[in-house]
Amino acid sequence: MTRPRTTDDARVETGRLSIRLVHEPIDVAEAAAFLADPRAGGLDLFIGTTRRWTGDAETLELSYECYAPMAVKEMRRLAEEAMARWPLVRACIRHRLGTVPPAEASVLIGVAAPHRAEAFEACRFLIDRLKRQAPIWKREAYADGRLEWVQGERPPDLPGLDTGS
Amino acid sequence: MNDETTNGALRVRVLVFSILREKMGCDALTVALDAPATGADLLDRLERDHPALRAFRPVVRLAVNQTYAPETTALAEGDEVALITPVSGG
Repeated sequence: MTRPRTTDDARVETGRLSIRLVHEPIDVAEAAAFLADPRAGGLDLFIGTTRRWTGDAETLELSYECYAPMAVKEMRRLAEEAMARWPLVRACIRHRLGTVPPAEASVLIGVAAPHRAEAFEACRFLIDRLKRQAPIWKREAYADGRLEWVQGERPPDLPGLDTGS
Repeated sequence: MNDETTNGALRVRVLVFSILREKMGCDALTVALDAPATGADLLDRLERDHPALRAFRPVVRLAVNQTYAPETTALAEGDEVALITPVSGG
């Protein structure tokens, strides 16, 4: 199976940026603590969770597969793009791999900025871009026994053709 | 270009994930191509050996050495080429 090959494949840690792929529940308090910074006037956290019902279909759990070294590189690239577009003090991304039951978090985006407007905008940008670009795939396990890989609506953008949304 | 790659073969490592991994029945393979070769040449070859790829060809994007790259990209000996179907993380 395609799991992160080494610890180094699964994370980036710089002073202002923290990106990790994790196989255990996402530690929200740890992410919020990383974002704490006296230069910030607002922290924005987005947490994506496993939804039990999609229409009439009941999801028992999601499983995430990942091209780990590239996912980390791509998430870093997006975070650096966000830091260039907005005056972010800090940013963090967590993505869980393997099985994620209903109501548990699969992804966390956190940003700290001097003012809330840029924090909201940068956070939205990062989750929207991650869902298009990061080479991570989810498989739905439905209550009726079906196992179904979810395919994104559009292929990822190639470098130089970024739409920015 | 490098003389060593204008004649003979070059080998690339191909990585496959999620639905495509299941349809093709493997998660990694080594492919030898006549040099010079592009990403499109690699996909053509893979499609011959793995007909299941055909249905995904319009939406597959290539990552060469962990960066998205157009199919016109020239491949080099030892490149790692991932076949990326539309992603669904988050």
